[in-house]
Amino acid sequence: MKAIERGILSSYDYKRSSTRVLIVILSIVVLAMVLSMLYPIAVTFLNSFKSTVDVNTFPPKLLPRDWIGTNYKEGWNFLNLPLFLRNSIYIFAGNLFVSVAALGGAAFALSKLNLPYRKLIFFFFLMTLFIPPSTYIVPNFVNLKDLGLMNSFFAFWLPAGASAFNMLLLKSFFDDINNELFEASRIDGASDWYGFTRIALPLALPIISTLAIFIFSAAWNDWFWPSLVMHGDNRYPMATGIYKQVIQARGIKLNIKFAILSMVSIPPMIIFLVFQRFILRGLHLGGVKG
Amino acid sequence: MEHTAVSTAGPPAATGRSKPSKWKKYRSGYLFLLPATVLFILFLWVPIVKGIVFSFENVDFVKGNTFVGLDNFRTVFQDPEIGVSVKNTLYYMGLCLVIGFWVPILFAVIISEIRRFQGFVRIAAYLPNVIPLVVLYGLWRWIYDPVGPINAALQWLGLGQVLFMTDTHWSMASLVIMETWQQFGSAMLIYLAAVLSVPKDWYEAAEIDGAGIWARIRHITLPSIRNLIGLLFILQLIATSQGYQSQLAMLDGGPMNATMTYGLKIVKYAFTQQNYGVASAMGVLMFIVLGFLAVIQFRMNNREDR
Repeated sequence: MKAIERGILSSYDYKRSSTRVLIVILSIVVLAMVLSMLYPIAVTFLNSFKSTVDVNTFPPKLLPRDWIGTNYKEGWNFLNLPLFLRNSIYIFAGNLFVSVAALGGAAFALSKLNLPYRKLIFFFFLMTLFIPPSTYIVPNFVNLKDLGLMNSFFAFWLPAGASAFNMLLLKSFFDDINNELFEASRIDGASDWYGFTRIALPLALPIISTLAIFIFSAAWNDWFWPSLVMHGDNRYPMATGIYKQVIQARGIKLNIKFAILSMVSIPPMIIFLVFQRFILRGLHLGGVKG
Repeated sequence: MEHTAVSTAGPPAATGRSKPSKWKKYRSGYLFLLPATVLFILFLWVPIVKGIVFSFENVDFVKGNTFVGLDNFRTVFQDPEIGVSVKNTLYYMGLCLVIGFWVPILFAVIISEIRRFQGFVRIAAYLPNVIPLVVLYGLWRWIYDPVGPINAALQWLGLGQVLFMTDTHWSMASLVIMETWQQFGSAMLIYLAAVLSVPKDWYEAAEIDGAGIWARIRHITLPSIRNLIGLLFILQLIATSQGYQSQLAMLDGGPMNATMTYGLKIVKYAFTQQNYGVASAMGVLMFIVLGFLAVIQFRMNNREDR
C-alpha cells in the first residue's frame, strides 16, 4: 500500500480529521500564493490586449472587453526594438565568449594542471567575491572612462572576464571531472591547449549552459549600468532602452506600454520554461556559494 | 611545501627535472591564467584601489585630481541627507527581513509536503524571477496606482485608498513587497531542496516517539536547514544594505527622501552631482561595514560545505 514515500506527515496523520483541516487551510494558502505570483504576470499580458478606454477603467477588469492585437504593432513601432535587441545580443554573446575563454581557461588551469602556487592564485581571484560591488561602482565607472571604454561594447565584454563567481562555477565543475582523462591524453603527447579545447570544454557543456543562462539574464535585466556607460539608443541594450523610453516616458498609452512589456518578458519566460533544469541547478549553486 | 606536494602528484615525467625546465613545463599552464589575471587586475583590483585613492581626492576629469585629505569624509559626516539615507537603508533592511525573509522558509516546508502539482507550484513561485526588472517596475507602478487593482480591491472591501508610492509611510514598504514578490521563489526553491533532503526515517522515528507535526518541524526540519537559513540571512543583509535600483527606478529616492538609501546616495553624489571623490569615500565607508558581514558569510559558507 505504501505507494509514496512519507514526508513530515505520515499516512497515519492523513487519517486524522485535525490534520485534514490543516491540509485544507494550507492548500488554500498555497493556492493564494500561486495566484498572487501569476496574477501580475497574467495582467501584463491581458492589459496589452485592451483598448485605451478599457485599460483605464476603474475598477480594472481582468479580461479585455475586445481583444486588440494591433497594440503589439503599435508597441513595436513605438521604439526601435530590433536595435535594442541587437545591442542586448551583442552584450550577451561577447560576455559569454570572454567568460568561457578567460574564466574557463583559468578554471581549467587551476583545477587540472597541478600548477605551483595555484592555491595562492585562486585566492587572488576568489577574494574579489567578498568585496561588495556597490562599494566600487563609482571608481569602476571612472576607470572605464580612463581606459577610454565609454560607449563601447568592450566596457561590458572585458569586465565579464573578471567574475570570481562564474570562475568558481566553472572550477567546481572541472574539479569533479576525473583527472585520469587528462593524464592519459598528456601521456599520448597532447598539449594543455588540446586538453582544454577538446576534452574540458566539451565536457563542460552543461555548466556552460548554466553560465549562458546567468549571463543572458544579467544582460537582459541590467538597465542602470548601461545607462551610465553607453550614450544614446545606438548602444543601449533592451532594458535601458525600455527604461528610458517606456518606464520614464509620460506620453505613452498604458495598453501600448503593456504590449511592449509583454514582448520583452516573452523571451526570458520561454528560456526559463525550456531550460528549467539548468536554471534550477544554477540557482542552487548560486544560492549556496553566494 | 606546495612544491613537493605538486611534484609528487604530477605525471612521472616530472620527477628529477631541474628548476628552469619546471617553469618551462608549467609555462602553458600559466598562459591559461594570463587573460583572467589581466582582466581581474584591470577591472576589479584597479577600481578597488582607485576607490580608496579617490576618497582622498577631488576628482576632476578636466583639471586633474588633487589631494584633499579627509575633506570627502568630512563632507559625508556633515551631510544630514546621508544620515537620513543610513536610517532609510536600515529601515529597508529591516522591512526586507520582516516582510520577506520568513516567507520562503514557510512555503518551502509547506510545498515539500505537496503530493500533486508540486512541479507546477514550483514553476509558479519562480516565474516572477524571470520577469525583467524594467517590466517589474512598469507593472508594479500600475498595480500600486491610485486607480490600480489593489486600490480597487480595497474599495470593494470598503477600505480607504492607499497611496502606495506617494505616501511616505508606505513607499518603502511597497518597494519591499514588490521585491519580495519577485525574489521569494529562488530562495524558496533553495530551502525546498534542503527540506526534501532531510532523511525521512528521522520523521518516522520521531513520530513513533510521539512527536506531533509541529514538533517534527521544529525539532527536525528547521534544525536541519539552520545553517542554510543563517547563510541566506547574511546574504540578504549584504544584498539589501547595497540596495538602490528599485528605489531609483520607481521613486528616484522620493517622496521627500523616504526611499533615499545609502547606495542611492552614492549614485546621486557620483552621477548627478559629479562629485566622484565624496561618492568614493562613501564606498570606502560602506566597504568597512560590509567587509565585516562578508567575513561572517565566509565562515558560514565553510560550515555549510562540511
